[in-house]
Amino acid sequence: MAQLTLDEVTKTFQDDDGEIIAVDEVSVDIEDGEFLCVVGPSGCGKSTTLRMIAGLEDITRGEIRLDGQIINDQPPARRNVAMVFQSYALYPHMTVRENMAFGLEESTDMPDDEINERVEKACKDMGIFELIDRKPGELSGGQQQRVALGRAIVRDPEVFLMDEPLANLDAKLKAEMRTELQELQQDLDVTTVYVTHDQTEAMTMSDRIAILNDGVLQQCATPLECYHEPNNLFVAGFIGEPSMNFFPTTLEGSTLKGEWFEYELSDETVAAVEGTSDITLGIRPEDIEFVQSDVGPNVFDSTVHVVEPRGNENTAHLQFDESMDEQFIATVGGMKQLKAGQHVKIRFPENAIHLFDTSSGSAIRNRTLDEIETVESVV
Amino acid sequence: MSIRDGGFIDELRSTENSRIGLYALLLAGIAFYLFPVETAVMTMFKTESAFARTLPFAPPGTDGFTLDALTTAWNTLRPGLVNSLLMAIPATIVSALLGSMTAYGLTTISWRGQVGVVVLIIAGIFIPYQAVLVPLAQFWFQVLPGLLNGFVNTVFGFITGGNWQYPSRNGYVQLLQLSITHAAYGIPICTLLFRSYYQSISDEMIEAARLDGASAFSIYRNIILPLSLPMFAVTLIYQFTQVYNDLLFALVLVNEPASQVATQRLAALTGGVVQSFNTTMAGAIVAALPTLLVYIMFGEQFAKGVAGE
Repeated sequence: MAQLTLDEVTKTFQDDDGEIIAVDEVSVDIEDGEFLCVVGPSGCGKSTTLRMIAGLEDITRGEIRLDGQIINDQPPARRNVAMVFQSYALYPHMTVRENMAFGLEESTDMPDDEINERVEKACKDMGIFELIDRKPGELSGGQQQRVALGRAIVRDPEVFLMDEPLANLDAKLKAEMRTELQELQQDLDVTTVYVTHDQTEAMTMSDRIAILNDGVLQQCATPLECYHEPNNLFVAGFIGEPSMNFFPTTLEGSTLKGEWFEYELSDETVAAVEGTSDITLGIRPEDIEFVQSDVGPNVFDSTVHVVEPRGNENTAHLQFDESMDEQFIATVGGMKQLKAGQHVKIRFPENAIHLFDTSSGSAIRNRTLDEIETVESVV
Repeated sequence: MSIRDGGFIDELRSTENSRIGLYALLLAGIAFYLFPVETAVMTMFKTESAFARTLPFAPPGTDGFTLDALTTAWNTLRPGLVNSLLMAIPATIVSALLGSMTAYGLTTISWRGQVGVVVLIIAGIFIPYQAVLVPLAQFWFQVLPGLLNGFVNTVFGFITGGNWQYPSRNGYVQLLQLSITHAAYGIPICTLLFRSYYQSISDEMIEAARLDGASAFSIYRNIILPLSLPMFAVTLIYQFTQVYNDLLFALVLVNEPASQVATQRLAALTGGVVQSFNTTMAGAIVAALPTLLVYIMFGEQFAKGVAGE
């Protein structure tokens, strides 16, 4: 059981053009038993961060501490971490049993029968006991994935490190393994750092999400905080699918003047954004309301360009005007039908809009969460 | 329906035609490659006069059949065969093993300056044997004995009384020297073969092993070595053939008649004033037997290794 701390961890690579900063002063405290997802676009430094925790990459600056002990210079084997790789990295010439026992044989002086017992128990837990004497080549992708997880579990490490472990599975299996992995992590209660580029995985599995971009930590918060209260434009745009709509505007008095619309702000909001004139207005697709008539302020005319039905919801690509190059997206419930070419009135409710400083990207005002309801439990 | 049937039969016919063509080509290939071997085998069972009378590839008649040539060749080559195997088998195994370890150290483990070492090793492949003959002979017959004599007589002088002599005229010592020379000259090409194979091994797997707590040697012993068995078959066959077939180094390094290797004996067998084709052919066949056996034994692994499985 361990608390993992990254303290201004930095990684630079030398290139012909000079120094490349892959990870830039990332600081995160990962609590004992916490499931932290590290997400970001490819090349954002998330895998490098994970590899530094594992000890597979040197740390240029900063400290990594496990339970207060600095582990910067510990070799991988001494860090008591287990890693699951995207390619599973199983040893092809060894059976499942040998694959799982190898780590225990190499890193402990546990007697053979105890190793065997632990391997068999882990196999039973993972539901792969009947495959124990097969070689990886004879297993399906999902089964190999389980062996790779089992190999990590059997080590009983302080920290699990997972590098996109579900990336090679098909969609259905991925959803299944996601739930299973989450349950497993809760049962074992082992601190876990999980790297993924798939924000669905990050949103659904983790206790907290750390979002990286260009090696810089953008935000580290619970999935819902990241979704509803993003720190900046990058987080707002990265989390959520389809992503948030952004409109550049300038503040004039109490009005946000955009290219296509003018948005009237309440006094309260004007006070909150005081001092910034270039403001980006953001609104999530599901917060855009379709209205019948000009009810109140901030109702705009627009045209439906394309409709993508998804069954549970419809995604509408909208334009304010035919001459508008880019479209913005609104989602409505699956039972609400829309047609391409239709003229509609839409409203951006003020409690749902996010306002960002256009030049720095940081959030000035996030949406309010007054409307959150909880489902009361039935006694 | 009838059209479909016709199409099916046509298809079958064309498949069969292409199959017939394929087999015809393969048979022609086999005949082309086996023809000289068949000629050699036929010739070695013929008497000198039968050889003069019949076509080279025709079988000997009952009156022209003899085992004399084979017996002569076998008796001449036999000591050479033993010497060759004594020399070539250790040389092959040592160069394959060292090549594999070197390649592992140059691919899977990263350290400063390894590119320079790789370049030196690759350059080693292109050193012509002829260029090193004189220094090689000087090393084994002058430099090394000189050094060893000095060392042993200085350190163990109280036992040897300063009279110890490096046994450079001992046949087995000469064979050992030849074997070491071949092992050393085989390392560059073996390293190159293994290196390209190891570069295809997944980095993540090696990293997984490192996280599992395996040391560099344990990774080699438990992961790399078992995975490189097909490559070992390739290098063992290649290297054995190279070492076994070499005559140049043997001529320079082995001068004790009792220690001569098969190629030297074969040269002696065929090098007479009168050409007797039947003993020459018999000698060639007998000398080729070990390499033939090696190919048959490791053929399957060889194919796997070459195919890069």
